[in-house]
Amino acid sequence: MNVPTEAYVALSGVLFAIGAAGVLVRRSAIMVFLNVELMLNAANLAIVAYARHWAGFDALAGLSGQTVVFIVLAVAAAEVAVGLAILVAIFRDRASSDVDGLAEVRL
Amino acid sequence: MATFVVLAVVMIAGALGVVLLRQPVHAALSLVGTLLALAVTYVTLEAHFLAAVQVIVYAGAIMVLFLFVLMLLNVQDTGPRRSLPGVRWAAYATAVVTAAAVAAVAFWDGRPAPDPAVASLNLQGGSAGGIGDALFGELLLAFHLVGVLLLTGVVGAVALVQRRAESAHGAPKGSGLPAGRDATDPKAPALGSGGSR
Repeated sequence: MNVPTEAYVALSGVLFAIGAAGVLVRRSAIMVFLNVELMLNAANLAIVAYARHWAGFDALAGLSGQTVVFIVLAVAAAEVAVGLAILVAIFRDRASSDVDGLAEVRL
Repeated sequence: MATFVVLAVVMIAGALGVVLLRQPVHAALSLVGTLLALAVTYVTLEAHFLAAVQVIVYAGAIMVLFLFVLMLLNVQDTGPRRSLPGVRWAAYATAVVTAAAVAAVAFWDGRPAPDPAVASLNLQGGSAGGIGDALFGELLLAFHLVGVLLLTGVVGAVALVQRRAESAHGAPKGSGLPAGRDATDPKAPALGSGGSR
């Protein structure tokens, strides 16, 4: 009945790997960004699973872990706002977001 | 266990859709499905408040912003990269090795699992009250820093999509703007409000 933490962590690893493959494989910058979101959520799943695991040992660890995930969500919202603004600015100049051609974004 | 298996299958199928579907809107909707399944997974992990926040913030606000930009910019169908075929298979191989390694290490660890009853007692069902206690107590500094970060993000997003005031005013009327600039004009106010979300 009770699913072990290992199963959740393994699922999180699989999702993270799929997202990493997407980052490497997709051509459009906005699709790369979408895959980064997938990787972020895979990491969140691992944190929530570990939070439940450690809640069995420590009274405060579980809720602290879940609160960290809450903060990660807020950071992800800020990241998406800035990232999509950068993509819109790139699209204005180039009408394309092919990451192979974005050499001028370099510092 | 059956619930977990169903959720895992849905989430992995959605994640594969994000990588493999050619239309960007289809890929984004596939990610919405994955995120909703992830919210249900949070419920099975006794994180009820996080599940609600995941649906509202991620599957709601963030993915709507993504779909909004995808439709606004009319992103072309690209699909997986074709310019370097070797890189593609290397990426898939890396993903398979990474997933297998993480899963193997996760199951390898032989330390004893805690008592589930104690865990669920300490988690208090992942209620908003318990999370608020941790957020405004132990993690108060992180809470303040996230507030600063969100404000910076809003200002940065508006500044990035904003048109320069001088170029809008100083352009000579007779010469006219290049054709491309007129086509992009309606984006500016829409993205200004979208980015501040």
